[in-house]
Amino acid sequence: MSGKLQLESSGRKFVAPVAIWTALLLAPFWMPLLGGYTALGTRVLVLGLAAMSVNFLLGFTGVLSFGHAAWFGIGAYGCGMILKFVAPSTPLGILAGTLAGGLAGAALGALIVRRRGVYFAMVTIAFGQVFYYIAFQWSSVTGGDDGLRPFYRQPLHLGIATVDILNNAVAFYYFVLACFALAAAAMAFILRSPFGRTMLAIRENERRARFLGIPIELHIWIAFTLSCFFMAYAGSLYALVNNFADPRGLHYSQSGDFVMMAVMGGMRSFWGPLLGAIVFVVFQDYVSSVTINWQIFIGFLFVLVVLFFPRGILGAIRRRAAL
Amino acid sequence: MTQLLLFNITNGLIIGAFYVLMAIGLSLILNLSNVINFAHGGFLVVGGYIAYTIEPYLGFWGALIVSPFLTAIIGLAVEKVLISRVYGRDPLYSLLLTFGLAFILEDGTRVIWGANGKPFTIPAALAQPLSNEFFFITGYRLFMVAMVAAMIAILFALLRYTRAGIRVRAGTLDLETVSVLGVNVRALRSLNFAVGIFLAGLSGVLAGGQLGLEPTMGAGLLMPSFIAIIVGGVGSLAGTLVGGLLIGVASGVTAVFFPAASEAIMYVLMAVVLLIRPRGLFGEEGMLT
Amino acid sequence: MSLLQVKNVSKHFGSLVAVNNISMTVEHGELRAIIGPNGAGKTTFFNLITGFYRPNTGRIIFDGQDVTHLLPARRVWCGMARTFQVTEVFPELTVWENLRIAVEVASGLRLRAWLSQTDDDKIRVRIQELIEMGGLASKADRQVGELSHGDQRATEIMMALALKPRLLLLDEPTAGMGDQETYEITQLIRQLHKDSKLTIVLIEHDMRVVFHLADRIMVLDQGKFLAEGTPAEIAANKAVQTAYLGQAA
Repeated sequence: MSGKLQLESSGRKFVAPVAIWTALLLAPFWMPLLGGYTALGTRVLVLGLAAMSVNFLLGFTGVLSFGHAAWFGIGAYGCGMILKFVAPSTPLGILAGTLAGGLAGAALGALIVRRRGVYFAMVTIAFGQVFYYIAFQWSSVTGGDDGLRPFYRQPLHLGIATVDILNNAVAFYYFVLACFALAAAAMAFILRSPFGRTMLAIRENERRARFLGIPIELHIWIAFTLSCFFMAYAGSLYALVNNFADPRGLHYSQSGDFVMMAVMGGMRSFWGPLLGAIVFVVFQDYVSSVTINWQIFIGFLFVLVVLFFPRGILGAIRRRAAL
Repeated sequence: MTQLLLFNITNGLIIGAFYVLMAIGLSLILNLSNVINFAHGGFLVVGGYIAYTIEPYLGFWGALIVSPFLTAIIGLAVEKVLISRVYGRDPLYSLLLTFGLAFILEDGTRVIWGANGKPFTIPAALAQPLSNEFFFITGYRLFMVAMVAAMIAILFALLRYTRAGIRVRAGTLDLETVSVLGVNVRALRSLNFAVGIFLAGLSGVLAGGQLGLEPTMGAGLLMPSFIAIIVGGVGSLAGTLVGGLLIGVASGVTAVFFPAASEAIMYVLMAVVLLIRPRGLFGEEGMLT
Repeated sequence: MSLLQVKNVSKHFGSLVAVNNISMTVEHGELRAIIGPNGAGKTTFFNLITGFYRPNTGRIIFDGQDVTHLLPARRVWCGMARTFQVTEVFPELTVWENLRIAVEVASGLRLRAWLSQTDDDKIRVRIQELIEMGGLASKADRQVGELSHGDQRATEIMMALALKPRLLLLDEPTAGMGDQETYEITQLIRQLHKDSKLTIVLIEHDMRVVFHLADRIMVLDQGKFLAEGTPAEIAANKAVQTAYLGQAA
């Protein structure tokens, strides 16, 4: 029986998600046992969400955007600026960051959606760099090279209680997990919808999709815009994680990292990018603590994955299961 | 005022010429093999450092001639061992591959030659300014432009008149047909890549003479090359040539009125071109969609 | 009024004239076959009709509407559906999923984020119908990319059918198939023509298929119109025989 893409759900498919969510819910408890700490988990969660957002476009629509860190960064700066200049409200920061990145993405998307493949990738890289450049140069507003600071994530006033997400790492972790759950649910929902299926169609065979009557450019633009919103959302959360927004988060090398996380985990699977993020972050943290020249190792990782594990970890597992 | 303008336009042309050298190599590789060579900047750096290493033995001129060839050989090896494996696959993989390669090259340079910058000495004769009036045009900068012009001329001649050159041009348009006609496409790609890297290596030597050598210098020059290609039109070498000069001049002119924006103008130019003529100035409709 | 009127279309690529001033009229309910030696321009002709290319000259009138400058997706909405010489399906999705996409798009649901149960049920019924019609019931859950040639083609035809077209264009539907598969596809097409009263235009090299199915045949040679008529007329046509001399069927 050959491998199957999960468009319809069935009982067997619930095992994996349940296991994943259990692990995520209990992370603050099992992470220290493995030498980790809660804040690392929070960071990985957000980066994983970013990787999933890139994959929304890359793995599920088949569109190669290599400048997606731009929306991540805009989200981060948007959130940070709200917290710093406007109002001490975490939800408002997240909302602002998400809208800023999403709308910017929508605008750019409209410009470039007619191109595809390598040319599209080039343009997304170049545009991503525009925002990097702005963040760097406009130092009066963005803090330039030093990044945007200081701002702090504000406690959440939930009516019945106030959650101190600033000082309580575990509380913050669960807050981020909740946000993550929201985004993941939305993504899954979209992917299982008729629209989501048209995305798959475009990935599988653009010509056939066109000759079924699907207006390709429009659908790609919508998918692009959606992924930008998710990306900016992740960026806002990242600003909260660090209490800081970094111009390097906008650089195309950051985009490359996100794409690598998606590829490494498995582009064709929903949870793959999260897995990829975990592996990538752990690897990067470890290597950079051992040597100054950690970049070479990252480079080799890229080369290795491309040459030997193009389908990623989950892809390799699937293959074995199908044989 | 016109003096200042002239100064900056000329300056811009000189900068532009340099961008052109980088961008043309990148464009060559992109057009034939559909690969965005992120590692191009890395090869630039390698080229510069190799020149630095052999200069004590061969002098400036020796280093200038030999280093690009050595760099090209490294590029050839890389192409044969790594990049050739991802031809024909989704462009995603070649992107990630050259991306990783860029990391390796940059950090590798750091490992071999140290993280600090290195000076690169150029002959005193070249370092002299032409005259007091044109103090900004040192002999070296003129030399750079002359080199670039010579390289471009040689390249275009090669593409026009040699068999390999014609095949590369044909391959850019329709690689499948070319291979069906019996041309060894693999060899063609390798050759093409090597030429592109040769140009990158040469850029490194020239840049080193102008700016000194540093492991990070390649990355900063990659973006202008990208923009030159986008502005000039993907798929067209002439376009890349024009694009590079254009952004160089734009940068130079902007420096007169808005010094802070002289780098930003490149991006603005790109945005404008994409809005008005998405395929670039000389690009063909439907290229690389 | 005829369903499809192609008037004096030409298409050239540089100095290569692929299609040279060809006209064709297809009536409702007709099954028209287009034949001709290799390089006759048949696929290019198809590509012009379906919007893959723009003609350099001429017009294409579909059901009274001038579609010459419409994009392919639009023409699909007008009622044209086609299959390709090299089967174009969604290879890593199952037959069911392939058809599901086609049916949803055809039902105008492509931008929906959510389906009501009623809609969902209706879609399932329709997919099942198409699967049965195409003889794909036993393979519905398999990846299309792994099916036999014939089944892939059947899937593709069913996807085209899902669009409820008024005109079905089939480009070499039996290409690369053995006798058994050819027979099955021919039966399928015949069934579509007779039972569903579908207007069909097909390009074919296999003369058995052509003479078995076609109401009328049009012959192209080197981009130019050569002859048109009933199967009997074409079989007797000297010029056609000359064009095909030495060519394998």
